Order: sequence, then structure tokens, then C-alpha cells
Amino acid sequence: MSLSPHTTPSGNLLLGFLLPSIHAAPPFFTQQPNPATQAIVTEQWSRLILSYARHRQLFTVRVEDAEVTGGEWDEILRNDRINRRLRSSHLAYILEQMAAKNQLVYDPPKQSRSALLYWRTPEEWAEVLHEWASTTGQLNTILTFYEIIEPPVPSPLSGIPMQILRKAIHILTKTNRAQIIAVADGEGVRFLPGNAGK
Amino acid sequence: MGVLKRFTKAVDGTIPVPALLYEDEDLLASQEGVGIYDGTEKSPKHQNGTIYTTTHRLFYIDHSHARSRSFALDLSHVSRTDYYAGLFTSSPKIMLYLHANSTSRSSNISGAELETWECEVCSYKNPPGLSPAASKVCGLCGVPRTSVKNSSIHPTPIPTRLKQPSMSTHLSTSLPSSTANLHTHTSPSSSPSGDVATGQDGEIPCPACTFLNHPSLLTCEICGTTLPRPNGVSRHLAARSAPSSRPITPSADDDKDEDDVDDTSEASRLIRLSFRKGGDKAFYAVLRRSLLGKAWETKHLGGSRRSVTQHTNSGRGGINSLLRTVENTTASNQSNMENALQDLESLAVKAREMVRMAEELNERLTAVTASSSNNTMTGSAVIEPEEATFIRSSLSQLGLQMTNAPVTLDMIRDERRWHEELARELSGVLQGNGSSWKRPGDDGEQTSGGMMRKRGIIALDEVWGGWNRARGVALIPPSTFLLVLPHLPSYTSPPIHMRTFSSSGLSVLHTPPYTKAAFAARMVGLLTLAGPRTTVEVAQEEQLPIGLAQEMVIEVEDAGEICRDEGGSGVGIFAGRDGSGEVRWWVNIFKGYVWDGQEG
Repeated sequence: MSLSPHTTPSGNLLLGFLLPSIHAAPPFFTQQPNPATQAIVTEQWSRLILSYARHRQLFTVRVEDAEVTGGEWDEILRNDRINRRLRSSHLAYILEQMAAKNQLVYDPPKQSRSALLYWRTPEEWAEVLHEWASTTGQLNTILTFYEIIEPPVPSPLSGIPMQILRKAIHILTKTNRAQIIAVADGEGVRFLPGNAGK
Repeated sequence: MGVLKRFTKAVDGTIPVPALLYEDEDLLASQEGVGIYDGTEKSPKHQNGTIYTTTHRLFYIDHSHARSRSFALDLSHVSRTDYYAGLFTSSPKIMLYLHANSTSRSSNISGAELETWECEVCSYKNPPGLSPAASKVCGLCGVPRTSVKNSSIHPTPIPTRLKQPSMSTHLSTSLPSSTANLHTHTSPSSSPSGDVATGQDGEIPCPACTFLNHPSLLTCEICGTTLPRPNGVSRHLAARSAPSSRPITPSADDDKDEDDVDDTSEASRLIRLSFRKGGDKAFYAVLRRSLLGKAWETKHLGGSRRSVTQHTNSGRGGINSLLRTVENTTASNQSNMENALQDLESLAVKAREMVRMAEELNERLTAVTASSSNNTMTGSAVIEPEEATFIRSSLSQLGLQMTNAPVTLDMIRDERRWHEELARELSGVLQGNGSSWKRPGDDGEQTSGGMMRKRGIIALDEVWGGWNRARGVALIPPSTFLLVLPHLPSYTSPPIHMRTFSSSGLSVLHTPPYTKAAFAARMVGLLTLAGPRTTVEVAQEEQLPIGLAQEMVIEVEDAGEICRDEGGSGVGIFAGRDGSGEVRWWVNIFKGYVWDGQEG
């Protein structure tokens, strides 16, 4: 019964993820009938999923991830040491609860099998985006979305889903810190030095 | 001789008499060593035999020539009886005076009583074996046999038949009844060929389509219905019975003399039974009762077709009789039921009386035992307890045990007090309070303990069953049982409460260690010390039935004290390795959990 945190074996210590001790407890993988107990379970799972997603720069989670092995979520949705895994129905329930707390959004909408994780809220992303643009000296430069998502130098924004990026830029435009510009091959954005933030 | 010939019918005496009886006929009495007088003279062939009387007939079974000399006499022929007590060497005798106007004609239908026939009205298949009278009427609807054809025919005046007394011997063996019936209705002047039932040239009307068929046909030419057989035979009858329509009866070989005797003379209608070996009085009494009973008349159609018609008109047949039968059945059922209920009620009253008497007896026994124990020197004092024990055990076997008599509503009027008394009694059943509810016959270990002596928790239905078994009489209905339960804690020590599980609705009685809180605390302690446990393991630990343990564990889970681990959600192909999906219970590890994983 003595549970302890466990670091995932990811080769190098910096990339290892510190799993909470509760992840080694078999009941954590069971959907509890008692609503009070289950509330705690859900809360801990939400936190685990978000922190892991942030750690691994994961943006999407799908219910199927609980069923198929070899996915990028294996480390937390399964625990081979105690021979337990999260059931897909349980994961679906957790995602539903997270959606209610605006910790993720179903994407595409109107289904509940896959979701975009908001381990940063769109507002936080907007700040990150603006800061990145200013620190890399790209203010007043027109950037395509593609250049933001896959920059030549890895950035905190690498691999950000288009939907989140769009929302973040939308938030920036409202405070006049960004401007969406139509370019030849789609859309572009120009970041402006704003007064807000910082 | 002539009297016997005319009125009796030969039977095969080698057949046991009960086998000769009609289905509605009962054998009443028998007497051996009987001789028969034909008229005033001894009948030489019938001097040593056994006489039987039934509700319908008299049988004489000859001892030496049972096959050839036995005969039966229909009691319906008997008009009057007389008894002669005997004098010196003369044996007691019973005189049977026979009706002047009857012959053994009814025995003509000997064939009919042995065959099944179908009623033309209701198609009921009447079984064989009924008495001649009964077999003439359909057993179901009461419509007389062949009455469809004959009801319009006027009955033959009786004298006609008087002129053909000797026919019986010829007809009796060969002719089916309907032949006889048809012939009976022949108008006085007509020859058999003039029978109304047949056509002009002996043609036979089909009973179904009324087509007149050629006499030699067996089935109707048009519709294929089987034609009444009698018609085919009636031609023989015409040939054979031709003399019968003649005014003067042709005499058979052996009754030449007697046939000339005037029918009205007493001697010609007298049969005497001589009882050579006694038994006459008893037999006579039975015979008289049988004659008075007139069993043959209950369905008696007699020789006269008129009576049949009257019976029919008076509503014995058809739907009326069916309806009446149904009504009668209903009425008798009703009365039976009422009687039964009355019996039950009186039984209940008696039971109460018996309880009271047993109580008195028991008290007296106790008093005697007490007094005798004072003077133990006497011999009786040694024996007394054994007897007392025996009586008491007998009483208890009857369900009447007295020092602890079951409390009934009669004893206590006030309902609330009654419930309290019942609670007190129940507490005795459950916990066993020494003297109460100890059955003398049993070994004390089993009973004195009570149902909950070793168990802290027990299902309600078991308690109810056990209690009522212990009461034996005046059983407690479940509703009352439930009313009693709230009073229970004040009469039990430790207090016994009722508890209902929310998940299944199962109700139990339990002692304090099995309250929700106590059990939860105990279980958490167990899990903390011994690690995760399955329900079965918990049940073993608590020595509870698994189902009951399941209920209680789920209640603990509902309280949030424990959480579950469904092993089935394992990884890979060995998913079911430990417990194969069986739930293991953990202390609630989530309560108060603080995140100790990766930050940021």
C-alpha cells in the first residue's frame, strides 16, 4: 500500500515524467460507483492528463488511446507494473468532465471521441504567441500560420493545432496586437507590439 | 317352472356376481344354501345355490351347475313379498309375488347393455354396462335412446305384450334392444312389416337424411350413414315372431302346461326362496330395502314407452337438464365450501381450547413436580418427572407448549401491548432467554441459544420463518411481524435493530457490531492491515454469507470509506490474471490525496 511517485523511463532525466503515486494504485484505474470518490478520481486524472500533455507537447487525446497500445498516451493510460489500464469508457467519462471544465474541447465538435487539450487556455496561448513573436524579433513581420506551427527553430508553439492558434490570434487581434492579413496562399498574421501583456 | 321361465333370465354363474352387475347396480347381500320354488313346487334344478340381491336384481347361482342353472330376476317384476318363518323341518322362506303384467321383457336388451351407443341428440358415447333402464337414456342429455324416431309413436297397449310372453326366450339372446323397442311399438293389429319405423316395403329410412333405403342395405345409399341395424334384423323378427301377434301364444316345449295357467292366479306368479342354511331374516330385510329403494326406477323406463315420453316432456332431457346439472354442481360446490370453512372455523376454536387445556395441564404438572420434589422419599416422586416430561414433550410435539405459550391476539386485546408482547417473544426466539422457548424434547444446545446466538446478523425472512416455526400455532403474518420489529430493541440485549440495504432492499436484523458505522470501521481496519480484499474474503473474515457481505460492503463503499479495483481492466493478455475481474476492495486512497506527480 505504500505508493510512491514514479518517473517514466524516457532515457534522459529531463524528459522523464514524474507520475503521481496514485498512478500506482489499482483503484485509480477503476471507475468508482461512489460519486464523491469518483470526483476525486476524475480530478486527478484531469490533472495527470493535462500535465502529461504539457510535458510531452501533446494536443489531442482520443478515447481510442485507452484501447490501442503503442500510442503516445501509453505511459499514463496504462500501468504495466500493476497490470492495470484505463478503460475507454472511463476515459470518455473523464474527457466529458474535462470538457465541462473547459480543460479541453472536442475536435471536431459534436462528437466525444477525440478532443483538443487546453493545457494552456487560448488566452495563455495568445500571450505565449505574442511573446514568442517579440522575442524572436518577428513583430511587424507577416507570418503564415504554417511558419508559426512549424518554425525552423523549435518553439513552444511547435505543432500547435490550427484551431488553438486561430483562437489565440483572434484574441490578439481584439487587443490590437495582431492583424490577420490575407496572403496569396492563404492567411497570414502580423504581430504588432501591443501595450497589453508583459 | 313357468314362472321362472317367464320372469328370469339365465346367467352364466361361473362369472363372479360382481362382474355381472350393471354399472349403476350395487351388490347388497348374499346367502348360500338357498333353494327355489317355482310357484308352489320345488324347482328341481334350483335346489342348492347362493342367492344375491342387488339394487336391481336377484341372482341365483347354482352350486353344482353354475353355468347352466343360474339365473337373474329383475326386482322390478316383484310386486309384493312375504315372509314365512319356517316350521319344524320346513325352512324359512321368502315369497316373491310378481307383477301379472310384466315379463322378463326388459331382459331382452341384454345385447344393448353390452355395447356402446351414441346419443343421436348430443352425440355422447354412452358406455356399456348400465342397467337396462339406465341404458335407455343418454347419460349426458337424458334424451331416451332412439326416441327421435319413436317419440311420436303411441305406446303399445300393455295387453299386446301380455300375449307374447314366451318370446323372451327366443329374443333375449339374439336381438338388440332397439329391435325389441321397435317391436314394442308395433300397433296391436300390425304385423312386423307394418312397423312405422320402416317404409312400405320394409324400406329403411335413414336416420340422417330420411331417405328410404332398400332393406338389404347396411348404410344409407345417399349419405352413407349406418342404417339402424334392427331393420335388417326385423325381417328375421318378422319371421320368427310372427306367432307373437297371434292371439294365442304358441307354447314352447317345456312350458306347455304352465302357459295355460291363468296369469292372474297367484301361484303362477310366485317364486319362493327357501333358506336351508338360515340367514333369511337378514336377507329379507336387505331385499325389502332394495325393493323399496326402487333403484331401477330412478331411470326406469319400464315396458311402457309412455313413461319415457313423460319423462322427456318433464324436462329430463335436453338443455334444461344440462343447465340443471350445472346448477346442481355449483350449488353442491358452494355448500361443500361453506361446510369446509365452517369446519375450519370450529377447528380454530377447538385449537384455542386445546391451547388453554394444555396450559392448565402443564401448570398442574409443574405444581405436582414442585410438590413431589418436597417429599422425594416417596416412590412416585421418582416416576413423576418422567411422566411429566413425556406429557410435556407430547404437548410440544403438538405445538402446544405452555409455560411459553405463543402469544395470540385473543390473549391481549390492546394492539400496542400485543406488539410489545410479540417483541418480547421474538427476543426469546432470537436470543434465547433461558427457560423460555426451551423445548423439553430437544437438546438444549440447539434451542436455548436462539437464532442469533452465534450470528450477529440474520435475514428477515429467516427470522420470520423461524419464529413461526417456533410458535407452531397462530402464525404471525408478515405485516404484524414488521410492526413488531420497532419494539424489538427495547426487549433485546444487546439491542437488535432492523436494517434495510438500499441496493437490494434486503432487510436484516443485526446486533450493534453490524451497524453501518461499526462494520465500515471494522472493514477499513481489515483493509488497512491486510491489504486489498475481495468480497468473498471479507465474507470469510466476517463469517457472513457472501450475498450479505456484498450488501454490507457496498454500503461501506457508498459511505466513501473504501474504493474498488476492478481487476478486469488489466493490461494485455494476462488481463484476468489476478482475480479475473473480481472486485478487490481498497481503503479509499483518494480521500485527502495530494498531487505528488510532475509539477508545471
